Amino acid sequence: MAKLNKDSLKILSFITYFIILFVFWFILSGYLKSLLLFFGLVSVLFVFWMSYRAKALEEDSLPLKIILRLPFYWIWLFKEIFKSGITTTALIWNGKYSPQLISVKASQKNRTGIANYANAITLTPGTVTIEVDKKTFLVHALSKKLSEDLQTDDMNKVITDLDK
Amino acid sequence: MSYNYIELISLVLLAIGCFFILSGSLGLIKLPDVFSRIHAAGLIDTLGSGFIVLALIVYSGFSLLSLKLLLIPLFLIFTSPVTGHAIALFAHESGYKPKGKNKK
Repeated sequence: MAKLNKDSLKILSFITYFIILFVFWFILSGYLKSLLLFFGLVSVLFVFWMSYRAKALEEDSLPLKIILRLPFYWIWLFKEIFKSGITTTALIWNGKYSPQLISVKASQKNRTGIANYANAITLTPGTVTIEVDKKTFLVHALSKKLSEDLQTDDMNKVITDLDK
Repeated sequence: MSYNYIELISLVLLAIGCFFILSGSLGLIKLPDVFSRIHAAGLIDTLGSGFIVLALIVYSGFSLLSLKLLLIPLFLIFTSPVTGHAIALFAHESGYKPKGKNKK
C-alpha cells in the first residue's frame, strides 16, 4: 500500500468509506429487494456527499491503514476493559479505593491517535482522562494499582503501533 | 428438562451483566466525589451493557439481528468516553478538586 500515490490512496479511502456505509445500511435494514437496495444506494450516496461537504473525508479522519487491525484492537480493548472492570468492581465492594491524579504521556503522532488513546483510557473502568494538553493527559485513577497499570505504558504502545 | 443449554448460557451472561450494573449503581452512591463516580458509571456503560448484549446475541442465535446487537457496544465504545470526559473536564475547569492524594 506504501507504493500508491496520494490520489489513488484518496480514491481507495473513498471506496472503503462507501462500502462501510453500504454494509452498515444493509445490516440495519436487511432488505434484499432491488427497489429497496436502490433506495439504500441513494441514501448512502447522500450521506457520502454530506460528509464530503463537511470535510469529514480528510486523510486524518479516515486512516485506511488501521482498518484491518481494528477488529484485533477491539478484542484487545475488550480484554483490557474486562480486567480493569473486575478491579474496579472489587474496589467498589471492598471500599479500598484511593483516588489520585496522575499525568500520562502519549506518543501517538496524529490527532486521531491521541483521541483514540484518551478514549481508551476513559473507556477502561477506573481511569478517566480529565484534560488533554497536547501530548500529556491528566488522568484520574481510582486506585494506586490502576494508575500503575497505566504507567507501564502498554496501552500507549499498542495504540501507537496501530498507526504504523 | 425444560431449559436447554443456550438459555442457560444467556441466563448466566445476563446475571453477570446485572451484577456489573448493580456494582456500578452502588459505586455511584458510595464513592466520594464526581471523578470517582464517573468510574462507576463507566462500569455500567462498558461491562454492564456489554454482557447483556452478549447474552441477547446468544439467546437469539446468529442472524442479522445479532449483527445489529453487535453495533450497540460498538457505538458505546465511541460515545461513552466522550460523555465521561465531558463531565470530568467540566468539573475540573470549574475548580472542583478530587479527593485523595494529588500528585501532578
